[in-house]
Amino acid sequence: MPVRFDRGHRDWRDIYLFRTAKTILRRSQFPPHYGNPYISVNKSLHDPEYLIGRLKRAQRLHRSTENWNNYNILKSANDGHTVGIKDNILTRNLPTTCASRVLKGFCPSQDATVTKLLEKAGMLVLAKTNMDEFGMGSHSMNSAYGPVTNGDPRRQGALSVGGSSGGSALAVALDLAHVAIGTDTGGSIRLPAAYMSLVGFKPSYGMISRYGVVPYANSLDTVGIIAKSAADIRLTFDILSQPDASDPTCLTTGSRTRIRMAKNRRRVSVLESKIHFTPAFTPREKAPPIARARARNMFLFQRSFVRRIGVPLEYNIAEMHPLVRWAWTATLSHLQTYGFEIVPISLPSTKHALSSYYVLAPAEAASNLAKYDGVRYGAPRTRPSDDDDKAGTLYSGYRHDNLGPEVQRRILLGNYSLSAGAMDNYFIQAQKIRRMVQKDFSTVFRMPHAFHDYAPVKNGVDVIIVPTAPTPPPHIQFLKDASPVESYMNDVFTVPASLAGLPAISVPGPRHPDFPWKAERAVGIQVIGQYGDDFSVIYFAQNFLTNFHNLKTLDRLQHDKVFKEFGSS
Amino acid sequence: MDESDSPLLPAPRWYDDNAPLRKELKDAAKAARKTSASAPSESPDILPDWELTVGIEIHAQLNAARKLFSSADTYPTVEPNSHISAFDIALPGSLPVFQPAVVLPALRAATALQCTIITKSTFDRKHYFYHDQPAGYQITQYYNPFAVGGCVVLTAEDGLEEGREVVVKIKQVQLEQDTARSQEEDGATTLIDFNRCGQALIEIISLPDLHSPREAAAYVRKIQSILHAIDAVTTGMEQGGLRADVNVSVRRRDASHEGFTYAGVTGLGQRTEIKNLSAFKGIEDAIKAERDRQIRILEAGGVVEGETRGWSMTRPNETRRLRGKEGEIDYRYMPDADIPPLYIGLDLIKFVRQTLPPLPTELAKMLVEEYGLSATDARTLVLLDDGDRLIYFQKVVAELSSLATYSVPQPDLGKMAANWVLHELGSLLSTDERQWSDKAVPFDKIAEIIHRVREKQITGASAKLILKLVFNGDSRPISQIVRQEELAFSEMSAEEYQAIAKEIVEKFPKHVKDIVEKGKTGKLQFLMGQMMRHPRKGDMRAPEVEQALRQVIFAGKS
Repeated sequence: MPVRFDRGHRDWRDIYLFRTAKTILRRSQFPPHYGNPYISVNKSLHDPEYLIGRLKRAQRLHRSTENWNNYNILKSANDGHTVGIKDNILTRNLPTTCASRVLKGFCPSQDATVTKLLEKAGMLVLAKTNMDEFGMGSHSMNSAYGPVTNGDPRRQGALSVGGSSGGSALAVALDLAHVAIGTDTGGSIRLPAAYMSLVGFKPSYGMISRYGVVPYANSLDTVGIIAKSAADIRLTFDILSQPDASDPTCLTTGSRTRIRMAKNRRRVSVLESKIHFTPAFTPREKAPPIARARARNMFLFQRSFVRRIGVPLEYNIAEMHPLVRWAWTATLSHLQTYGFEIVPISLPSTKHALSSYYVLAPAEAASNLAKYDGVRYGAPRTRPSDDDDKAGTLYSGYRHDNLGPEVQRRILLGNYSLSAGAMDNYFIQAQKIRRMVQKDFSTVFRMPHAFHDYAPVKNGVDVIIVPTAPTPPPHIQFLKDASPVESYMNDVFTVPASLAGLPAISVPGPRHPDFPWKAERAVGIQVIGQYGDDFSVIYFAQNFLTNFHNLKTLDRLQHDKVFKEFGSS
Repeated sequence: MDESDSPLLPAPRWYDDNAPLRKELKDAAKAARKTSASAPSESPDILPDWELTVGIEIHAQLNAARKLFSSADTYPTVEPNSHISAFDIALPGSLPVFQPAVVLPALRAATALQCTIITKSTFDRKHYFYHDQPAGYQITQYYNPFAVGGCVVLTAEDGLEEGREVVVKIKQVQLEQDTARSQEEDGATTLIDFNRCGQALIEIISLPDLHSPREAAAYVRKIQSILHAIDAVTTGMEQGGLRADVNVSVRRRDASHEGFTYAGVTGLGQRTEIKNLSAFKGIEDAIKAERDRQIRILEAGGVVEGETRGWSMTRPNETRRLRGKEGEIDYRYMPDADIPPLYIGLDLIKFVRQTLPPLPTELAKMLVEEYGLSATDARTLVLLDDGDRLIYFQKVVAELSSLATYSVPQPDLGKMAANWVLHELGSLLSTDERQWSDKAVPFDKIAEIIHRVREKQITGASAKLILKLVFNGDSRPISQIVRQEELAFSEMSAEEYQAIAKEIVEKFPKHVKDIVEKGKTGKLQFLMGQMMRHPRKGDMRAPEVEQALRQVIFAGKS
């Protein structure tokens, strides 16, 4: 059942904070047994009375809003709710390690803007969630603090939680936090959300402040949200989407106004385009009665502005798992019953996007990670050779010892593509492709880009729907034999939106009628919108893509003997 | 790595606030004389067979209250590591926030160097590992600098031969971050002070238009004086506020011009770079040493390698190799995605152009033409004390002309005031080794003293005495000093002079004898000095004293 809310607040009937407090306490005592979602936890987890008391008070506060009269007491819709924060976002009272040995025990003196906003909204930061080291990976296996798995990693059948925000996804799936904050560079939120049947949202680049977020590839990094429902995401995004003077890439109030103006232009264009809206593709009679009723009553406002759904043909790659392809098709036919027009579109530079991403991201990472030399902070320098190796290269001994193999691989790759001899062939070309990807998207969306002067599109689409990952979550024993390049393939559907800085949300795809539901058959469906059109994307996911599952009770965990005792709870 | 940090800081050569004035003047004269005579044991400035080509990169610390990308203070003399923000020491998660405060001084500098201001410039990262560079990269403007294509004209004023004029074209001026200050404690320890880290610098890159070591030094000196005059920098080369990297190459004058090309200049020899020069003399010496080294190699049939070299004050006649081409750092320049482009509005460019203070050359010209100063005095006055002395001088002249009972041509007052402000006050400053302050002798007091001298109310000697009293903290009004010290000048008759002269002559018969019999006229000065100490000294004038003495001495004997 979707979360009820009005005016940005939760309905008091949906608040069960006391019940979740007990679950959190029970499950967080032995984190490795539950797939290792945390790196460090808040003191309150060791103080049950405090935690239960706090959540109980918050619950009472929320329930006192029964008659719509106590809302001004609540700090926000998420007041008293728990949140897990990815370990590359600074928190003053918890260490921030980026799952790397190089930052072991690093306690920042300042909060990230995100952390500040969440705490101001009354949310309780429960823990720092595990991740791939510095966000580099697709399965959360590259952590210096142990891999994150869905299922007991010592047994057969444990599944990948996706990466790099795998810990955040697992924390939400285990009910250890209501929402979790992650970062998305090339799909790091959407992939875990797809693998864990959660809702994962990556906003437009610059919507949420990156101040205090340890950068991996700073032109691609975005802070995103993982939750069980799109409504939770909307309420949290309301809190986080603020201008911030300490992040020069965060959209200012002026830029946000320009985005609103672009949205208005789209609205005008939608109203003018009525004539192109062909009822032939809207078999409303065939729709199930519930869907019909919803389409008629609830979301008239939304329907009037999202009408055409783009389906990029280039995403239909041969490597796609049949189950994923089925889920994609099923989603599209489901949307047709609502009366949306399904439009095939072409994004020709998509096939180069992944290679472009894997040139740009490591290049920026090589630059961003150059500061970890152990001189000013981080893991202690222990050996005399920390400064120089045999070849006399400064800091290489320390960096070799304290950075993980995947991080080293990407730093080397990045430095190579930035070197004088290779720059023109790699970095420059990749930037050109990135520009082409951006342009491709802007030639299909109806809403004009707020900051680029691309030609206005007649009859463009409003959102694009594609799968999030080409396969369901893989078993981790297969990952061990896979080459790095094979695991890079997982990002093929998520990277284009990242390159273009577009908002994208991943929701659980439909369940196949012929197969019983299992965690290893999880498929994610991704909705991509034009730059700045974050709310349309969230609304669309919330209103039209939520009734494949009951998200409240959906069982996302890979069960084995250890997990069984709570799997049914 | 930073020469300016080493204890072997070169002695100030030309311009230094702390140096005594007389020494400055002497050094200036020396610098001017160098046109003819070069320092001993050094090769001549220009060689007949070889042509030297020099391009210079100057790093100057901007006069801005904030660092380039963080709001930390830029106070120069404070406790180490007290003025740093998270971004300055590259804490994870910190982000650069451009400080608009640096734009104005940078724009003033670029405008004064006659550059074209680019309205949209971007920032790039230059990567290298060193402990004075916490982020592992320096933020600079490699691809799109904010100003391009300026020029500086060197003339006789800058120490060139009379009539010679050299135009040094400037390729670009870019904004960048300064590094931290590091200090070798012992072999194993280096202390780092991050206060300087992240401060705004401008790098001024010249084209290879310079062909003599002396002119190269003159170019850097000129840039410094320009930057000082428009208040773009706070400190000069001696305080480490200005550093230069020098690119040197040589080629035979008669050779057909085939060789390397830099910025459109073709036919150059292989160049080497000398890093981190922080003294004018050092620049000249280092270029000479490097030129001679390259010529020696070429004459022996060798090949000059493209490499980075260093130079130190202790061994001024040689450069030493820092790293060769194979060890050359690949800086892996990359656009910084965190920093939005810097847009400079046309209105701001116009505003800066209109409000730019006059350059030293223009000021000196004004002083010569309007105040009747000699060229040397004018130049000294402009360069002294960041121009404070000039302002003081102008106040004195204004006060003088308001004191004057009838209108006096300004050049007359100017000459007189310059003499007192520069030389008399200057010598007091230098004997006491005190820093310049316009409060030591308020301008109205010195004007009143000069005025009384002009009006012949007091003698020059008394005036000097009064000046010294005021300088040493006498707060009485001038009129009171004159009255109480009995320095008022009342014309003495020749008889009165002679009477005093006689007294003196009687007191020192031995000296008189020396003068008369041995012809030691020098002793006359001594007698004059004695006579000027007479209680009526305030009324005596030197010419009359001499005359009276001569009359008394020689009248009795011949």
